[in-house]
Amino acid sequence: MIAQIKAELLKVRSTRTTAGLLLGMVALILLFVLLTGLLSSVASLSSAENQRQLLSIGALAGVFSALAGVLLVTSEYRYGTIRPTILFTPSRSRVIGAKVLAATLAGVGFGIVGEALGWAIGYAILSGRGITFALNSGDCVQLALGGLAGIALWGAMGAGLGTLLRNQVGGVITLLAWGFVVSPLLFGLVPSVGRFMPSYAQDSLIGLTTNHLLPPAAGGIVLVAWTALLASAGLALTARRDVT
Amino acid sequence: MPPVVVAESLTKRFGEVLAVDDLSFEIDSGTITGFLGPNGAGKTTTLRMLLGLAAPTKGHALVFDRAYGELEYPALRIGAVLEATDFHPGRSGRDHLRMLGQSVGVPDSRADEVLALVELRDASRRRVKGYSLGMRQRLGLAAALLGDPELLVLDEPANGLDPEGVRWLRDFLRRFASEGRTVLISSHVLAEVAQTVDQVLIVSHGRFIVESSLEELTARVSGVVRVRSGDSPRLAAALIAESLKPTKSDEHTLLVPGATSARVGDIAFAAGVAVHELATEGSSLEEIFLQLTSDEQS
Repeated sequence: MIAQIKAELLKVRSTRTTAGLLLGMVALILLFVLLTGLLSSVASLSSAENQRQLLSIGALAGVFSALAGVLLVTSEYRYGTIRPTILFTPSRSRVIGAKVLAATLAGVGFGIVGEALGWAIGYAILSGRGITFALNSGDCVQLALGGLAGIALWGAMGAGLGTLLRNQVGGVITLLAWGFVVSPLLFGLVPSVGRFMPSYAQDSLIGLTTNHLLPPAAGGIVLVAWTALLASAGLALTARRDVT
Repeated sequence: MPPVVVAESLTKRFGEVLAVDDLSFEIDSGTITGFLGPNGAGKTTTLRMLLGLAAPTKGHALVFDRAYGELEYPALRIGAVLEATDFHPGRSGRDHLRMLGQSVGVPDSRADEVLALVELRDASRRRVKGYSLGMRQRLGLAAALLGDPELLVLDEPANGLDPEGVRWLRDFLRRFASEGRTVLISSHVLAEVAQTVDQVLIVSHGRFIVESSLEELTARVSGVVRVRSGDSPRLAAALIAESLKPTKSDEHTLLVPGATSARVGDIAFAAGVAVHELATEGSSLEEIFLQLTSDEQS
């Protein structure tokens, strides 16, 4: 299994896709942190909740981590490399398992870069504008580590979703629509259901205090449950389907 | 030595379509077998079942006495290429091989070895997007060779190869088999493999129509002799007297099925007819193949 994970990580590294995603991620996080940090008033940025919001922007890395997960699976179907992959490792569960774990590890990478960037720029803006830091160390740990865990799990969820759908464009569109359209709509209209969507579960995990969110621990459990659900559904389908 | 490949009543149904219909065959080690048939005959589906990519509806296929998926590291015993295009265009040829090799514990140095073997060393660090079809074919072959396999399964490997590439492949497969290893190679063009294979399995509409050595196959269907002469009617009469069935092609030319050119020449000589041209036609493997597969269809 270690060998398969190593091979999957090489797949992640050996095309320009990952570099492109990293670049996009850095640009987006930079943009959002700078806009939020520089356009908000000193008064508003002095509240703990708004500082938390500012420093959670790095968690946007989850989008890119999930995209990398989707692409790690769907590009194999798109370019037919799934055939040699399965020929070398006939056990579908081993292949999908390795992909989910490799996407999680890649997600840790995305998370470290994204969180470090978000924190560095966010903290620099706060201190540069002379704003007193209002978060205690426990808040900071939850924000950073919760964010990192969420981003990593997004990688696994992306791989699971990709396994389920196999189609690359379909997978990317489904992911983005789910995260940016369906989930916010659901949360806005029926928050008691919407808060179980992974993006809101992640918000609760990192300690945001938006109304209607789940408690942090529950958010973590919900994220893990989504990951398990997507990965096992993908696995069950792959085990039954022929590779054409 | 037990056969390398055994298929028993292998059957695959896609909805209404019976793609592979009760195929049974064995392949002995050290042989090159041509798996032939027109496009859509069920060749690729059969190979997929053999390689564990598709599940048979009925029957089973064994390689080295086991189902492919039950072998510990099948890629170390069986090398296979199903499509010439199975590469990520943005990945280098070398990385393609490394990622496959790493999944079964084959060192990166082996990737460089097989790249040299298929003469792709210079292009190995370039993205596959810039490879010609011939180079992609060879990269696919390199991937199949990574595990130093005893059995090579190639689906239409000559597609898109130029004549030089076909010759290279033929020599390569001959060398491979001469080491006691086994090759199963599919094609819809008999001529591509006629000079390479020891035995042929011809399949049409998912069923076997011929399973024999190449010599037997050639002997089975005799050719048509075309003879142009100074006196067609007299020659025709002489041929009919020898219980042949000549047909008239044009005023001076007869076609004589089921005969050799030597026999037709002898008859013409005995009848005192001047022969202007004498040629054997329709005995090319291609025509045998077409004849066999169209017989099956009609």
